[in-house]
Amino acid sequence: MAALTSASLMSSTVYAQSVDLSQWSPEYIRSIAGTETFDTAGHCAEVVPLDYTGRLTYWWTGPTEASPKIEHDINNAFWEAWSKTYPNIETDAQNIDYNQLLDRLRTTLLGNAGPMVIRLQILGGVEFASKGYFQQLKPEDIGYPTADFWPGAMKSVTWDGATYGVPTNNETMALIWNADIFKRAGLDPENPPATWDDVVTYSKKIHDELGISGYGLVARQNAGNTPFRFMPQLWAFGGGALDEAEATPTYAESELDNEGAVAALQAAYDMYVRDKSVPTSALTNTQNENQAPFIAGQLAMMIAHPSEYAKMVDLAGLATGADKEIADTVVANMRYGLIPEGPARRAVVFGGSNMHFVNPEYVEGGFDEMAAKAFACFWNSPEWSTKLAWTGSNPGNLAGFKTEWMKERLDTIKFLDVTTSMLPSGIPFPVIPEATEIMNIIVPDMLQNALTERMTVEEAAADAAAKVDSLLGGGL
Amino acid sequence: MSIATGQATVMAGITRKRRGILSRIIAHRTDYLYVLPALIVMLVVIAFPIYYTIELSFFRTPPNLQMRDKIWTGFSNYSTVLNSSVFHEVTIQTIIWTLASTFFAFLLGLGAALALHREFVGRGLLRALLLIPYVISAVAASYVWKWLYHSDFGVIGALAVQLGITSEPINFLDNRQTVLASLIVVNIWKEFSFAMVMLMAGLQTVPDQLHRAAQVDGANTWDRFWHVTFPHLKGVSMVTILLLMVANFNSFIIPFVMTGGGPADASHIWITHIYQLAFGRQQWGVASAYAVILFIVMMAFGYFYVKALTRGDEDRAGG
Repeated sequence: MAALTSASLMSSTVYAQSVDLSQWSPEYIRSIAGTETFDTAGHCAEVVPLDYTGRLTYWWTGPTEASPKIEHDINNAFWEAWSKTYPNIETDAQNIDYNQLLDRLRTTLLGNAGPMVIRLQILGGVEFASKGYFQQLKPEDIGYPTADFWPGAMKSVTWDGATYGVPTNNETMALIWNADIFKRAGLDPENPPATWDDVVTYSKKIHDELGISGYGLVARQNAGNTPFRFMPQLWAFGGGALDEAEATPTYAESELDNEGAVAALQAAYDMYVRDKSVPTSALTNTQNENQAPFIAGQLAMMIAHPSEYAKMVDLAGLATGADKEIADTVVANMRYGLIPEGPARRAVVFGGSNMHFVNPEYVEGGFDEMAAKAFACFWNSPEWSTKLAWTGSNPGNLAGFKTEWMKERLDTIKFLDVTTSMLPSGIPFPVIPEATEIMNIIVPDMLQNALTERMTVEEAAADAAAKVDSLLGGGL
Repeated sequence: MSIATGQATVMAGITRKRRGILSRIIAHRTDYLYVLPALIVMLVVIAFPIYYTIELSFFRTPPNLQMRDKIWTGFSNYSTVLNSSVFHEVTIQTIIWTLASTFFAFLLGLGAALALHREFVGRGLLRALLLIPYVISAVAASYVWKWLYHSDFGVIGALAVQLGITSEPINFLDNRQTVLASLIVVNIWKEFSFAMVMLMAGLQTVPDQLHRAAQVDGANTWDRFWHVTFPHLKGVSMVTILLLMVANFNSFIIPFVMTGGGPADASHIWITHIYQLAFGRQQWGVASAYAVILFIVMMAFGYFYVKALTRGDEDRAGG
């Protein structure tokens, strides 16, 4: 099944590709990095003349307080380069919090006050495309071949046979652990848990031996961080929100109550309730709340991006006195590994973001097509697609893997090759309008119902499955 | 007098009355012109959303909210709301939240107002300090309290362990049994100074000679408070309590920021639940039905508020 999934993600299209996805591996990525140069301004000038005068409004989730400094620096460099390349396009860009962007967009679109261009998390786009809020948009419209984007990513911008966006970046996460804690708990510091059952065992051992949390479970309601960390576990055991883990999903009925899903939920229950080996605050935590305990040496394992390493380096730099010593030890002992396997497969969420054009009738002040195209071309160029994904992701435009900046990333970002090698194990969220509610509300609710013992594990799974089926049937 | 004559007399009366209203409007047309801009703004920003919400509550609304796609369902959304187990759970939580927050915020505010009404060194500083919770941003306060309460690293839990009150940190926010009470404490902390300011203003109106006369008559502190001070505070107390109730009923920031309604819906109150239904799940029809019910409740509060306000005026006027 895992092979089929990978095959579906990597199936080539009729276009010639900049990279060969069938050879995808850390070695292959290193072999192509830095082999080509690209002229961003020159290329975009063919799409929209550089002296074009116009106006652009743009929403996206950019660097936050929790982002490493380098992301802020690159963000500033991008806007400087953009205004230098297209000096006559007046730009109003709003950086909106990840957990608020969808709600805010829904609200503003109802009042026909949306932005022209928006970058949304990977599971957000189909909902809006299906409602008629987005224009059709494919990579060719901004000067790039569709073949230069992950097929799985293109699937996420496709609704009813039409394409409604361009993938800006794609990533998969990895398991991060503190080798020093492993060692002190009597575990092999260089060998992470291979399976999800091992995660439960390791977490308990760490908690029992050292009195600290083992695994950084995240289970907050209505927060995207929750499904991104729990779904890999659910898929690994053979469960699914629907049948999104299959090679050709039909999205017909929920699999949240199948044997695999119940086993995954049971594993989470065992860690939280039975063993108490994960943070008690998991029910109100997002991943940001895991950072402080991790750098303080109070948390042994978590699932996150390569950017987490850069963040920990930043935090260690800010620490003083005895805290500094602890933080430096944590950074020196940080390790990245593949996300654990389950009985059914090794899985990870095929994550990322997509850029969309909002339909003119929903845009405040009208839609400037040329300005939007110029911007989309510039942002999704091999250069900026790579730079803007510096620590947290990978270029959506696969040509970015050939740039000198990709080579620099591989040379300077520790563990980047681990997360890029997880990409073929990536499973996209269901490409249906209801995906956001299923993933951000129903899945976290299921976790909370089980972990608070409001329901038994089986009841929570059955309740969630019934909610998904009802939702797909047009009910509440 | 014949019936016809009687009717004519009545009709004449009505005509006179109508003419009276019309002539009064004409006579005061300049006044109405002054009010007109505000009236138009009110109609646009208040009346239309209210009407639209009521309209939506009778339809099964598709997520895109296209008027052409709406399906008339009559009172089906209301029956969905009233028959939902979540509705009952959230209603009970809202009542507990509103009553507990209001009662304790008022009580603390009254205590603080009485204490600060006396002359003592540092009174001004203490008054300023007690106002801090009220003026601080609710979002900022929520984040601070979230860390104070943190189940694993919170200061409150650590202090409880250090003082030997508990053997391990108390799980405030990640426990269905304690989360609502924990949020109510934050809400009380945030609001009691509002009650304090209102009641301190009320205390200024209590004549000193009444206190002195009661003292001469041998009344103790409690008697003086109960028979002299409190009757003078009735009006302002009613207004304060009603304002607190309205504010608490409409509270959103503290539960939303601190817990998002969790764990497992244990800290959802009406407003946060409506928000999730509408903007998280796009069940616009059901969310509108909730909002209409809430609107009716708030109108009832409003009615009593206006009554209390006018009674307060009468009390102050010695009516």
